[in-house]
Amino acid sequence: MQDYIVEMDHIEKSFPGVKALDDVSFRLRAGEVMALLGENGAGKSTLVKILSGVYARDSGDMKIFGKEQKDLSPKIAQELGVAIIHQELNMCKHLTVAQNIFLGREQTHSRVLSNREMNKQARDILKKLNVDIDPSDVVGDLQVSKQQMVEIAKALSANARILIMDEPTSALSSEEIDDLFMVIKNLKASGCGVVYISHRLEELQYIVDRITIMRDGKFIKSMDFADTNMEDIISNMVGRTIKEQFPRVECPRGRKILEVKNLNAGKLVRDINFDLFEGEIVGFSGLMGAGRTEMTRAIFGIDPKTSGNIILDGKDISINQPSDSIRSGIVLVPEDRKRDGLCTKLPVRENIALPNLDILCDVFGTVNRKKEKIMTDKAIRELQIKLPNAEVNAAALSGGNQQKVVVGKWLARNSRVVIFDEPTRGIDVAAKVEIYNLMNQLKKDGIGVLFVSSEMTEIMGISDRIIVMCDGKITGTVNTDEATQDLVMTYATRFEKKITQKVTA
Amino acid sequence: MERNETREKHTIRNILAIRGVGQIATVTIGLLVLCLAFAILNPSFYSSRNVGNLLRQIAPILIIGIGQSYVLITGNIDLSIGSVVGMSCMISATLMTKGWNPWLAVVATLIICIGTGIGNGLLVATCKLPPFIATLGTMTVARGVAQIVNNNYNTDAIGEGAEGFRTFFYYGKMLGIFNTVWIAVVLFLLFNFLLSKTRTGRHIYAVGSNIDAARLSGVNVSFTTIKAYMVSAFCAGTVGLVTSATAGIGTMDSGNMYEMYAVAASVIGGVSTLGGQGLLLGTVVGAAIWGVLQNGLQFAGAPVAIRNIVIGIIVIFSVLLDVVLRTGRPRKSAKGAAHTEG
Amino acid sequence: MKKKAISVVLGMAMLATAISGCSGSTATTTAAATTKAAAVTTAAAATTKAGETTAAAGGNKKIILITMDSTDQHWVNVDKGCQEEAAALGNITYKWMAPDKKDDAQQIERINNAIADGADAILIAANGPDAITGALEEAKAAGIVIVYVDSPANTPAVATFSTDNKAAGKTAGEQMLAALATAKVTKGSIGIVNINTATDSTNKREAGFREAFDGSAFTILETQYGEGDAAKSQDIADNYITDGVVGIFGCNEGATVGVGNAIKGAGGGIVGVGFDRSDAILSLIKDGSLVCTMVQNPSVMGSEGLKAAAAVLAGETLTETAVDTGVSIVDASNVDSIK
Repeated sequence: MQDYIVEMDHIEKSFPGVKALDDVSFRLRAGEVMALLGENGAGKSTLVKILSGVYARDSGDMKIFGKEQKDLSPKIAQELGVAIIHQELNMCKHLTVAQNIFLGREQTHSRVLSNREMNKQARDILKKLNVDIDPSDVVGDLQVSKQQMVEIAKALSANARILIMDEPTSALSSEEIDDLFMVIKNLKASGCGVVYISHRLEELQYIVDRITIMRDGKFIKSMDFADTNMEDIISNMVGRTIKEQFPRVECPRGRKILEVKNLNAGKLVRDINFDLFEGEIVGFSGLMGAGRTEMTRAIFGIDPKTSGNIILDGKDISINQPSDSIRSGIVLVPEDRKRDGLCTKLPVRENIALPNLDILCDVFGTVNRKKEKIMTDKAIRELQIKLPNAEVNAAALSGGNQQKVVVGKWLARNSRVVIFDEPTRGIDVAAKVEIYNLMNQLKKDGIGVLFVSSEMTEIMGISDRIIVMCDGKITGTVNTDEATQDLVMTYATRFEKKITQKVTA
Repeated sequence: MERNETREKHTIRNILAIRGVGQIATVTIGLLVLCLAFAILNPSFYSSRNVGNLLRQIAPILIIGIGQSYVLITGNIDLSIGSVVGMSCMISATLMTKGWNPWLAVVATLIICIGTGIGNGLLVATCKLPPFIATLGTMTVARGVAQIVNNNYNTDAIGEGAEGFRTFFYYGKMLGIFNTVWIAVVLFLLFNFLLSKTRTGRHIYAVGSNIDAARLSGVNVSFTTIKAYMVSAFCAGTVGLVTSATAGIGTMDSGNMYEMYAVAASVIGGVSTLGGQGLLLGTVVGAAIWGVLQNGLQFAGAPVAIRNIVIGIIVIFSVLLDVVLRTGRPRKSAKGAAHTEG
Repeated sequence: MKKKAISVVLGMAMLATAISGCSGSTATTTAAATTKAAAVTTAAAATTKAGETTAAAGGNKKIILITMDSTDQHWVNVDKGCQEEAAALGNITYKWMAPDKKDDAQQIERINNAIADGADAILIAANGPDAITGALEEAKAAGIVIVYVDSPANTPAVATFSTDNKAAGKTAGEQMLAALATAKVTKGSIGIVNINTATDSTNKREAGFREAFDGSAFTILETQYGEGDAAKSQDIADNYITDGVVGIFGCNEGATVGVGNAIKGAGGGIVGVGFDRSDAILSLIKDGSLVCTMVQNPSVMGSEGLKAAAAVLAGETLTETAVDTGVSIVDASNVDSIK
């Protein structure tokens, strides 16, 4: 157990204009879970890509299972037993589970695929993982959490002994996280080494043995989890102490901005009623599938509603499509920022300008470049977006900065209500704080803030009022100072009893 | 647990649940309806003579459809098919008029066509040109080659010595069915086997489904792309040989627009232009629909102005019908699942 | 980007060189033209360059031939006639310009190019009677002499050299009636394989053919269009045969080859009459699949047209301004003696 299965020393890696790794060391033992922590841009992703053969290091030594590795390619790494489970799952959605598991390693019998054999082996592995998936299911039809299990099964099928997991729990419900941790524990017991990359620091305690912290491309520290605490970890990650993880500001409550009455939109949005006032942040809590995202989409006009009134500053507004909502002043920062919030292939400047072209265009519809530059510079400055210049593609920014661009494009138009859906998902600690500060600023400026999040601590840390949804309905509203995690969870699990008819006479 | 129980029953629903089969079933029904309509309009349509001719008219469309389907499934497209047909027709005919043994001419022609396919594959996979542009270039060059091969003339008759060649590819019959149909059947069986039962076929679907996942899983993405284009060029070359056998001369304009017919046959049959899915069986039905329309409209006496409109409407309709009928499929809800996390 | 460009160029050059062995023609010129063109109409450029004949310098008149497309054998023969005549005259700079495919806008562009190129005379086969008259008026205003070959347009020119397509079509119809009478067939249906609805010359042939059948006991079915492609026309003819026709008429060379092959494949028994000549058509007449074909004289159109244009440029007046270059009937009786 004391042998190192991965030893990396003095690793250097540069890309044009950026030094990604500067004299980094990393060690992994068999049978342990090593958390690899660091802000976005710290170099974690680059390090594991070198370990899995995707990138070639510029210099430094790397030993896997005690053997020097000079030129590592993905195929060789795979043969050595290194497997990486990406955050953005990399599966062929049109192929079945078994086909994906054996992709690139298909078994044949005199040139013909042995489908039955592969299906059987796949079934065995899935059973070992205690997952209810049929190997002939098409991957594209599976839920994200199940797809992740398939990726793990694929790694195991290739006899992976070193498993790298990048944000494995971000798309999972708490039950699924329990299943995953059980699987990881089994892997540990069988002698696999697991590199665990995550921003969800609260989960580490349940699964992690040691941690390695990186910052700005450098190796900072490596220690046993038992010897440290959360504050210590965070301060090592950011290099400064974050005073409060959740900066709360107190504001006097002003007049009513938004009133939502009798909102109905399909199965997951049923009879929603709530109010939003100036000077407060309202957080929406609940389990996955509670209908919170659906509610935001119904308000914003993406999904059609069967009934409902939306009253903004006392005036009833009719919203049938997003442009109606935007024009009235209600804007949405969506859950999947890369797909729904940004045009990743366009430069930051065009992203910020896109919903504001009505403001930026001259009489004939031509874009006034000067106004555009002023708007873009203002957004970058006020939100402190870190980028080399406004011409880089949105895809090149880190998660936190991307989120700021998404928000920035709305702030340019003096919106009245800003709805945030999972705004800090996949963002590092320091950037999260910046987003919280941003929301607080909006609150102070008298702009209404609605905030959907699956992280209980975040909701309780930032909101003034918490509205809890369950199965499409609002099951509870509570002021944050009166709220406890248990109370919120109670509301969140308050499903309608299906057997209400059978009432004793 | 419920799911496992229903899975054991081999209901029609289960077969339809296999990706792509649903569309093939819908389109087959459409095909039968068309045939019925044309048969009513003109009984000559279902005379044994016409059935034989019709199958022979469908065969070339199926062959190029197979080639295009291979390329479409990898997520690319081959616009050069029509020009390769013309080039193959001209090269084979020119060589035969110059006294070459027809079979040597066939081999030489097919080698050149496969070379074109390799060229397409290299341009797309290695040079990373967008497939539309790369095959547009080869399309133009191949058409130019078709023209210079015989000095900008259509060829003379390929001569008495080529009778065996013409019989083999077009005029001959075996067991009462034209050879061309047999050639199409053999190629279908061969390429269907390759696509569904071999590693190469699996990789073709993978590359079309998620090229990055495929690459990271160790699939040789470049080689797979090239193989698909080689199949397409080979099929186009075969149809060019059929064309020179049919007319007995090489015509520089032959094959015009064929790449589009090939796309139509594939798409009607359920092959997705985005890659990763589709069954060759669907291409068979798609080619059949195309052939039946061309043939049946003549027997129905449709004026030419109406013809193209009718064909276009039916093509759109057959794809639309499938989309409409199957809106509730699980495939859609996977996309929806991403949103039900709130 | 550079890497891609080089590979594209290399690919094209490789293909061109590989084929040059087969024809031994202007392969290098083609390669150069291909690399320059980079995306479009390489063939047109190649054939244009190949067709350029320059006579001795000094006092040359420039005559440009513009046809409907650059690949149909008919136009290639017109060009051949022009080349021979230009060489014979000696003081003509002759060029052949044509779009790749029959297209009104492109033909107008060729006319404009010819004007810009300093043409003294233009020989033109107009796509249609009205399609290009505007461009022709401009050419005339610039002092250019216009001569029609094969197909006139609705603006006066110094001369027209063409086949009287309607009369030729009627002759073809009469030939078919005679052949049917000989075979003792008195009634039935007749199929027509035409090119497309937009080509005036072939439409005239069809009209003439139908005229010959006025008042006869035969019915002519709905015309089908095969774009002049032999294989496509063959499919159409096959379907006609299945439908029980007693005779089929092919309106141009490609259609005729298709008709003949279809009749041959069906074992005969149907009267086939066609238009234009080619090696394949002659052998189809020899083996009896076709009864006869109407042979135009495209090279005569070219040579006589160029001669007339040169004469007008030299200041002479023409005696004949509307010349029917005629058709000859080629059937089994004279197919061997035709040259």
